[in-house]
This record gives sequence, C-alpha cells and structure tokens, in this order.
Amino acid sequence: MALLEVEDLRTYFQTREGEVHAVDGVSFELEERKTLGIVGESGCGKSVTALSIMGLVQTPGRVVSGSVRFTGRELTTLKRREMEDVRGLEIGMIFQDPMTSLNPTLTIGTQITETLRRHLSLSRKEARKRAVELLEEVHIPNAGRRLDDYPHRYSGGMRQRVMIAMAISCNPKLLIADEPTTALDVTVQAGVLDLLEELREDHDMAMIIITHNMGVVAETADDIAVMYAGQVVEQATALDLFDRPEHPYTEALLGALPKLDEPDARNARLLSIPGRPPDLLKPPEACRFAPRCKYAGTDDCSTVPPELREIRTGHWVRSAHPASERAKQPVAVS
Amino acid sequence: MAIDERLAAERAGKRRASFELALETTADARSAEAGAALQRASLWRDALQRFRANRAAVIAAIAFLALLAFVIFVPWLSNEDPYKLNFSQAYQNPSWAHPFGTDEFGRDQLVRVALGGRVSIAIGFAATFAIMGVGITYGSISGFVGGHLDNALMRFLDALYGLPYLPFAILTLAIFGTVTFWTMVVSLTIASWFTTARVMRGQIISLKENDYVRAAHAVGARWYRVLFRHLLPNTLGVIIIFVFLELPGVVLGEAFLSFIGLGINPPKASWGSLAQDGYGAYQTHPYLIVIPSLMIAWLILSAFFVADGLRDALDPRAREF
Amino acid sequence: MLKFIIRRTFWTIPVILLVILMTFLMMRQIKGNPFRNSERAVPPSIQRNLDRKFHLDKPWWQQYLYYVKGVATADLGPSLVQRNQNVNDVIKEHFPVSLKLGAFAMFFAIVVGIPIGILSALRQNTLSDYLSMGFVNVGYALPSFFISTLLVYFFALRWRNYTGLPTNGWGGWQTWILPAIALGLAPMTVFARITRGSMLETLQQDYIRTAKAKGLRWQRVVVLHVLRNSLIPTVTAAGPLLGYIITGSFIVESIFGIPGIGRYYVTSVTGRDYSVTMGITILLSLIIIFANLVVDILYGYLDPRTRDLRT
Repeated sequence: MALLEVEDLRTYFQTREGEVHAVDGVSFELEERKTLGIVGESGCGKSVTALSIMGLVQTPGRVVSGSVRFTGRELTTLKRREMEDVRGLEIGMIFQDPMTSLNPTLTIGTQITETLRRHLSLSRKEARKRAVELLEEVHIPNAGRRLDDYPHRYSGGMRQRVMIAMAISCNPKLLIADEPTTALDVTVQAGVLDLLEELREDHDMAMIIITHNMGVVAETADDIAVMYAGQVVEQATALDLFDRPEHPYTEALLGALPKLDEPDARNARLLSIPGRPPDLLKPPEACRFAPRCKYAGTDDCSTVPPELREIRTGHWVRSAHPASERAKQPVAVS
Repeated sequence: MAIDERLAAERAGKRRASFELALETTADARSAEAGAALQRASLWRDALQRFRANRAAVIAAIAFLALLAFVIFVPWLSNEDPYKLNFSQAYQNPSWAHPFGTDEFGRDQLVRVALGGRVSIAIGFAATFAIMGVGITYGSISGFVGGHLDNALMRFLDALYGLPYLPFAILTLAIFGTVTFWTMVVSLTIASWFTTARVMRGQIISLKENDYVRAAHAVGARWYRVLFRHLLPNTLGVIIIFVFLELPGVVLGEAFLSFIGLGINPPKASWGSLAQDGYGAYQTHPYLIVIPSLMIAWLILSAFFVADGLRDALDPRAREF
Repeated sequence: MLKFIIRRTFWTIPVILLVILMTFLMMRQIKGNPFRNSERAVPPSIQRNLDRKFHLDKPWWQQYLYYVKGVATADLGPSLVQRNQNVNDVIKEHFPVSLKLGAFAMFFAIVVGIPIGILSALRQNTLSDYLSMGFVNVGYALPSFFISTLLVYFFALRWRNYTGLPTNGWGGWQTWILPAIALGLAPMTVFARITRGSMLETLQQDYIRTAKAKGLRWQRVVVLHVLRNSLIPTVTAAGPLLGYIITGSFIVESIFGIPGIGRYYVTSVTGRDYSVTMGITILLSLIIIFANLVVDILYGYLDPRTRDLRT
C-alpha cells in the first residue's frame, strides 16, 4: 500500500458560465520517501490537484468524485475537524508566493509556534525553542532574534524558507510543494531546492513538487507525472521520462527547452507548441491534446478519448500515438 | 575626394540610422498609445456587459431612472395646482384622487413630493458635479505635480477633514445669509469635496506609473497632453462611480438642513422640508413624513447599488460581495 | 512605536491652528451683530467698550491670536447673547449630554454592526447574509429623522404598554435607548458593511490558505488571522463615524428633546452668537481631530507595516 493513492480525482468549479472541469480524472500513487514531480503548463490543474488532496478547495469548487487515500485513510470524506488534524501534522504544504503567504500582522515566531502548539501540545517555551531550531534548520541566520520579526522584514527567499519550516515543523510524512521556486530569483531557487532535498532526507518525508519548470523536476523528482487539461497524460520515472518520452505533449515540452550546448544554439528558433489549451468549461470529448498535436490525423484522436495505459513497466501514457508505437509504425505528420 | 565622399556618406548613413531609430520609437510609442486607446474602447464594452449581467445593479438603475421620471413627469402631467390652498381638502389620507394624500393646506402631496424631488435631486446633481469639479481639479493637480506641492496640498486637506461636515455647511449658509438653491449647493459642496480630491489624487498617482504614460513622454508629449489625453480619461470610471456615491450624501445633507429649518424657503419645497412639514402631524397623518422619507431612501438605495454595480463592472477584482 | 505616536500627535497642532483660522475667518464673514439683536439697545459708548473688551477693534489677525491663546488656555470667551454665561459654561452644560448620547450610539453601532458584518461574511451568499445586508442597506438609506420618528411612533406610542419607553426627555436610562438607536443606526450599517467587505477580502488572502494548510482550528484562523487583519479598515472607519455622530446629533436631539450641544449650535448660529458658535465648532473639530489621531495610532498598532513608513 502506497503512502498516497489518488484515484480518478475530479474537482469541478461552478461558475456563472457553467462547470469548469479543473481536475478531470487524475490518478497516481506515491510511495514513502519518494518524490513525485507534477508538471504542466498554467491552468492544467496541477495546483487544484494538490489543493484537492489537502481539502483546501474553496467554493465555487469542490471535489466531485474520486478518492484520495493517505496511509490507507480516505481523506475526501473526512469532516472538517478531522481534516484539520491531518493538515500540518501528517501532510504539509507550501505555496507559490512567499510574499503574500505569511500573515503580515503576526510575528514569524507566532506563526511557527502556533502550528507546533496546535498539533504537538508543546508549552510556549518548548515551542519557541523548537521554532528557533526549525529556523536554523532552514538556514536562517540569527534565528533567535529574527523570531520576533514581522514578515515584511524578511526577503522573498527567506520567507519561503520560513514557509518550509512551518510546513515540516510537525514532521509530516508528506510535503506538497506548489511551485516553490517560481516566485523566486534564479539564484535563490537552487538554494531552496537543495534545502527541500536535504529536509526530505533528514525527515524521511515523501514529497510532491508541482511546477511548470522541467529543470526543477529533473533535479529533484524520482517520478514525474505530466498533466494536461486536467488529466495526467504521462507518468514515469524521471530518468525514463527524459530519456524516452512517449506522449507528443511531453516531447514537445522537452523540445521547447532551449539547448545552449548545441552548435548553432544562438541562431536557432525556440520551438513552441502552437495553439492553446482547451477550454475546461467544455472539455473535448476525445483526446484533449489532439488540436495541437502533429500526429493527430483524421483517425480516432478526435473521437475516442485515450485511456491511461502502461506502455512499459512503470511508464504510463494517455495517447493513441506514443513515441514507441510511432517508431514501429510512422504516423503522418500534419 | 574619395575620403570626403566616404566621410559624407558615413555621416549621412549615421543620420539615416538615427532617423530610422527615431521612426521606430515613434511607431512603438504611437502603437502603445493606440493600444491604450483600444484598451479603453473594449474596456467600456466589457464593463457595460458586466453591468448588465449584474441583476441587482440593473434593477437599481431602473429604479433610479424611474425616480427621475417620476419627478420630471408627474408635475408636468398632473392637473393639480400644488400651490393652491384648499382647506376643505386638508389632511386627506392617500386615495385615488390624491395618491399621496394632502397636507394641512389641502395641497396635493403627489405633485408636491414630485416637485420637492425636483429640487432635492437638482441640488444633489448640482452639488455633486461641483464636488467633482473642485475635487478632481485639486486632486489631479496634487497628484500630477507631486513633490512639495502635493505634500502641502494634502496637509491642507488633512486640516479640512478636521472640520465637522454639517456645522461647516451651516456656517457657510450663515455667511450667505439666505438659503437659495445656489447657496445650498455651494454650502454642501464646500463641506464635501475632500474625499473626492483625495481619491483622485490617489488615482492619478497610481496611473502615472503606467507604461503608456512613459511611452507618451517618449514621443515628446507635453504635460497637458499626458494629463488630459491619457490620465484623466482613465479615471473616468472612478469618477462615474463617485458621482453615484456622493449624490446620496448630498441629498441627505440637504434633507437634514431642511429638516432643522435651514432649507429652501417656501413655497418651494424639497423632500427635507416636506418631511419637516409633515413631522408635526406624524401621529395622525404619518404619510406626510413617510412618503418624502421613503423617496430619499429610494434615491439613496438605488444610487448606492448602481455605484456598486459600476464598481464591479469596471474592476471585477475589487469585489465586495 | 512611541516615535510614531509622538510624530503623529505633533502634526495635529498645525491642523488645529489651521482649523481655528478657517473657522475664525468664516465667522467674520457672517453678517449680523449679536448686540444689535438683543432687546436692550446698546448706547454707542458702551458699544465701544464692549468692542474693546472683546478685541473687536483690533485687526483680524490679532483677534485670531487672542483667540488661539484663549483656546490654548481653555478660555473660549463669553457668550454674546446670554449675557451672564461664558461659552465654557454653555459647553459644560450641554456637551456632556451629547457626549453620552454619542457614546451610546457608538456602542450600539459597534456591538450590533460588527457582529452582523462578521456573520454575514462567514455565511456569504446564504439567506441570512442577504437578509442582514438587506436590513443594513435599508437602515442606511432611511434618514435619521425618519428613523427617529418611526422609533418613537412604534416603541413609545403604539407599543407603550410593552416597552414603557418615553417619547422624549432626558433623564433615566430609558430615555437614552431610542435616541441612541436612532443616532447609531446609520453608523451601525457602515460598520456592518465595512466589516463584511473587509472580512471577505481577507478570507481570500494567501496567508489564510497557509493558516488552513497548517491545520489550525477554523475558529482560531477566524479570530486570530482573519479578524485581526479585517478589523483594520473597520477601525479606520470609526474615526469619521464618531465625527458624524457628534456633529449630526442635532436632529435626534431636536426630535427627542435632548438638551445637547447640537441643538444649541443651531440656535447660536441663527442668533448670531459668534463666540458660542466658534467655541462649539472648535470643540467639534478638536473631537474629530482627536478621534482621527486615536484611529491612526490604533492603525499603526494593528498593522505593523505602517509604523516603518514615513507619516
């Protein structure tokens, strides 16, 4: 039994124009102490997936169907008080924008100790001591004095570290990081990623990293799930995904990465994927990538929705024309 | 000779290059300007659409217009003479003949309330536009010029905030000696323009930072062009919202002043003075005070919800509901 | 924090001086002579003495300075109409009444308005939200003279037997209930609306999502994280609202027969009692300025970010 099992998760948003299928049938598993990277472009549903796991989806959205099992326990049916016990203690989460994710009117110390005292029933002194230790663990200098500072005295990178400290403070078994480095400077990004890896090892945690940056997951993830238009379209180990991508979307994503080590890299054009993701108000009946895919012909692609199938051991793909099949039987390129 | 020719050609080439560069910059700036204009045009259409989709706002707008129609058309269409005294008809309850009843002098209240509405609303609009005029000018100058002038103007404004609203208006009326339409308008204006000035200043300051303003400067636009062509039109939305927010305040202020006896002289009446007239008999003939008060409330509610709808339509991110 | 308070307080002094100056200049424009209006005509020689005594023969800026000195020493001069009374006496007699009324009205506005706003925000878009906001909006739009009349009509007349409330007068605690409600209803609606709007906005903030993600109990999130941040605009609204209550009380005082400062103000203006008018206006201004000062300081305490900004 895996640590986290997500099965056919569907989260819809009720808007004035209709129901938006933000997450439309996502399934994956995560073992203990492993890192899963979820990648995809903006709007593909990766953040909503994470929020659905945590039970943090706000109206007008709600988890419509599917199951999320954590250490065997079904999370989607828990009552609010029970879910409050899970969050922070068993699953921690950090968010994208550190500038707005901390309460500006409370000291950093208060925001850390309140989590500790809530879940671990520490006394005020014990919590404060532990908070200093946590700040040191995330490499904040002068931790003791900075505990009583307000967030606006911290830089962006430091605030993200504080967020991380808060999220791991009660030793959760799973840490979800939603775009942890997107809002940070490039030089700071590397530091944060290293920190996450370090903490994951020290605390024996599993981790889910959500990002649109392939470079980030290449470094940190054991497994990668590629999402598109609310669905997982490919899932494999990181090595296998980068070595032998199957889904045309994944291929295009990897192809869009600028390669500076090639001979005429400076003069080459950046390849982008033409078109835009589908409107999730009325998701297409069949393959959602078909309108932008160069291999989609007049065949099933536009009528039959492809299922997620295991094309190799541990490598799943949702496509009628995965790369290995195309190699055997070439498909006309449109 | 060859060297001179080559030098001349080089110089000409440089000039051409810089000329081409200037052309490019101008083109970019013009298109940015055009872009801003295009942005504005489609913004209005989007806003109108959003407003129309907001049911509460549409109902409020209809209610507001209905009120305006009431005060404009009823006296025009009615046969009753609002000034004629007819003691035999005094103190009649609302009926078919007199839908709003009659007062102590037998005057038909339907027409009187409508006429009073004309006065109240006219004062309201006049004062509101005056407030806009003064407030926009003051705030724009302060925000646009910035620096020490801005500081000084804002400190002065802070001091003005210290003056109590209604007493200030009362004092101004006392200075004028009599209460006429225009003295009432001026008094209310003087006491209420501060908030508008402050908001306009804030708007101008935040708009100044926009890129299309920089683009306009890059083309060499003079300050008045930037102010009148770029900054002010983009504050139009806020201004319209403020009109609907200030109007109720002014009408209410006039009503209060009229109620304590500082209103327009009879026989001209406003809703406030009608309410004052009716107050004396509220136990026996409540409709005399109820109806003008409800009219005031009607105006305030409809204007407020229209302002809310406009605020939603023009900037859906800043939602209150 | 202390530096902030001192700095902010210091800035009220030029404001006060400016306010006195403007009021002073305005008063000079009002035509009419209190002495000439009284029944006993004043012979010219006595008139000259009176002028000299009240510095009316000096240039205006000197009169201004004399007045400022008077304000600073809490001597606002004599009443020009009531010969045997000082302005201070008038204020001492009538102001505490208005202050009490204003305090009750403010109390009502806060105690009723803020909870309505909080509950409406937490139950957004439910029936109770729509109903309470509907009630709030109507309460805002009805003029206070109308509300006063309604309250008196129903509670003091029609249902007199159930409530035992008097129609007017100022004495025991029963006489304060209706006027306080009448005066405080409009501010109550403002508090409700601002609190609700501010809470709704705060609930959308990222740091609330973080607080929830930490697994904190919802009650704690609401009280410590949401309320603490959303009460800031509510507090800032309290300043001007206090100003409204104090300066707009004359209608309620008139209807309920309450001998407060508002009612007296109107009589002093129409009676051209300059010194009383000036005195009351300055007093009201001082209250407004002081209320704004307190609000600003409170704001600095509640939102630590403002403390580090230049005033």
